[in-house]
Amino acid sequence: MPDVILEVRSATKSFGGLKAVNNLSFDIYEGEILSLLGPNGSGKTTTFNIITGLYEPDSGDILMQGESIAGLDPGQIYARGISRTFQMLRLFSNMSVLENVLVGMHGRTKANVLDCMFRTPKMRREEVQSVERAREILAMFPGRFPLARHMQPAASLSYANRRRLEIARALAGEPKLLLLDEPVAGMNPAESLEVMQQIKDLRDRGYTILMIEHDMKVIMGASDRVIAMDHGVKIAEGAPLDVANDPAVVEAYLGRRGADAAS
Amino acid sequence: MAEMTARVSGFFGRMPRWVYVVIALALAIAFPLLEQFGLMQTLWLRLGTRVLVYVLLAVGLNLVLGETGLLHLGYVAFFAVGAYTTAILSSPRFGIQWNFWVIVALAMGLSMLFGFLIAVPTLRLRGDYLAIVTLAFGEITRMTLNNWETLTNGPGGIPGIYPPNIFGWTVDSPLEFFYVLLVAVVIVIYLLGNVKDSRIGRAWNALREDEIAAHHSGVRPMRAKMLAVVMSSGIAGLAGAIFAYYQQFINPTYFLFMQSTIVVCMVVLGGMGSIPGAVLGAVVLDATPEVIRQAFTTWLPGAFGRDFLPGVQSALQTDFDRYRMAIFGLVIVLMVIFRPEGLLPNKLWKREVHEEDPRELEKTHQHLFDFEEGKQDLEV
Repeated sequence: MPDVILEVRSATKSFGGLKAVNNLSFDIYEGEILSLLGPNGSGKTTTFNIITGLYEPDSGDILMQGESIAGLDPGQIYARGISRTFQMLRLFSNMSVLENVLVGMHGRTKANVLDCMFRTPKMRREEVQSVERAREILAMFPGRFPLARHMQPAASLSYANRRRLEIARALAGEPKLLLLDEPVAGMNPAESLEVMQQIKDLRDRGYTILMIEHDMKVIMGASDRVIAMDHGVKIAEGAPLDVANDPAVVEAYLGRRGADAAS
Repeated sequence: MAEMTARVSGFFGRMPRWVYVVIALALAIAFPLLEQFGLMQTLWLRLGTRVLVYVLLAVGLNLVLGETGLLHLGYVAFFAVGAYTTAILSSPRFGIQWNFWVIVALAMGLSMLFGFLIAVPTLRLRGDYLAIVTLAFGEITRMTLNNWETLTNGPGGIPGIYPPNIFGWTVDSPLEFFYVLLVAVVIVIYLLGNVKDSRIGRAWNALREDEIAAHHSGVRPMRAKMLAVVMSSGIAGLAGAIFAYYQQFINPTYFLFMQSTIVVCMVVLGGMGSIPGAVLGAVVLDATPEVIRQAFTTWLPGAFGRDFLPGVQSALQTDFDRYRMAIFGLVIVLMVIFRPEGLLPNKLWKREVHEEDPRELEKTHQHLFDFEEGKQDLEV
């Protein structure tokens, strides 16, 4: 059994009277792709937000490699090795492709303001290393970010490439755990399959991945395990096929009568 | 080569950056000589000196407004702190004359401290709220200067500021001040250009574009914004110190809210987030009204006879300041219509602002589509 990298322990988060995430517990194992599945409003993105520090859980705890990270801010959680992408793209549109990835490295680089003012050798060395590493990361998406594109504004990329760039920016933080919020949303089937393959490649490179996805092809094709949620509660967990056929999951999507008809 | 790859966001277009820098510097160095050789009235040299003060202010505010995207409307307060520090420590007001370097360091230090103190409560606010609160702080500063009579002599101001002594050189003519300011401008632009082109500059830009995503990339928003505000306050303090020395007299009316607005206009006119833009914005906005006034009161009557547009001529001669603001307004309106990205925009912004032109957008999309399909190489 591989080691647990992230542990969510009875996390709860309410907005007013609505329990968006209710007493949720699960583990993520090192080197796996774990998918979160569930109808809209079932608490998947809220789960992401409490893991990455955008929200603090009302109760419960989150452990990254055994240490509690609940209540830390997003910057601190980034420093612990968790990076994420967003459901609605959040790129730095007016910055170049390369700069987007370089910003992803911000917390990993050290040059202070005086180093930067006087371009000290230390700063220049770090800058050259950062640019090299950024180009390496962009090269993980073969053919998608040729050198000619590196200086273009992120806003000029096609939609699918913007999604890829967001993943690249998250990778620039050298995370151990990568959270992808609907990585193939809005893509055509061919693009989805390509991104799915790229996600599996990332796992093979040693990243652990937690993703939210609606595309069943991608979930079935990429995930090692799946957790299904509804109304903020975990309703099923296990291998992709088992979860997809779980009566509780079918009911969550189709309603009771739909579930009866399906069985 | 290493240096070249490290510079990922040069702010000029295709020509090597140094060509433009050398041209601009040569023009600036030659400018006062025109007056020396009797080719230009002293009036223009004085204007040039004032323009350089505005250049410092515009470049400083660009850090906050253009790079970090914070609408700070109380910028003149830091200019005032620098100017009053100088006036108090080098004038007959208290009969003291401190060393130039000590005063410059103090003026910058106090402005930075003041910037920091204002930033602590205000930077938690966003957008319009930040603008309103900083505007209020700017006014509070001016009112304090106006009313703290024991220190500042209130509305009477502080006259007779002693000229600075820089390593035994007493600076007291517009020509000398022009060169002192030019040196200050060059140093400030060099250092800021370096910071802009580094991880810190990128962090500022990222905050401007999307604060949440920046925070998730390890940028600490409060710290980075604070740094931008404190640095730009220091530059305003420096500008204020030299301004006070040059002007030899200051009172609170030099630090009206309108001054903050003018500097904001300069940054917007030049192109937000672009250092050369800020410089050009300051030159154009400060020099244009004066050129127009001279044109109507001296040049055109000289060319077409004395009775040329009699009403306009006398109006401009008597209360020009009112028309100055009207000209400002007109320039800004024309800019927003015809060149919203500014005169010398940061090249990445240009495309964004014009994106709404459907033909352009279609071209871009078709181009990218062809590229995706492998029909065409992407031109860069």
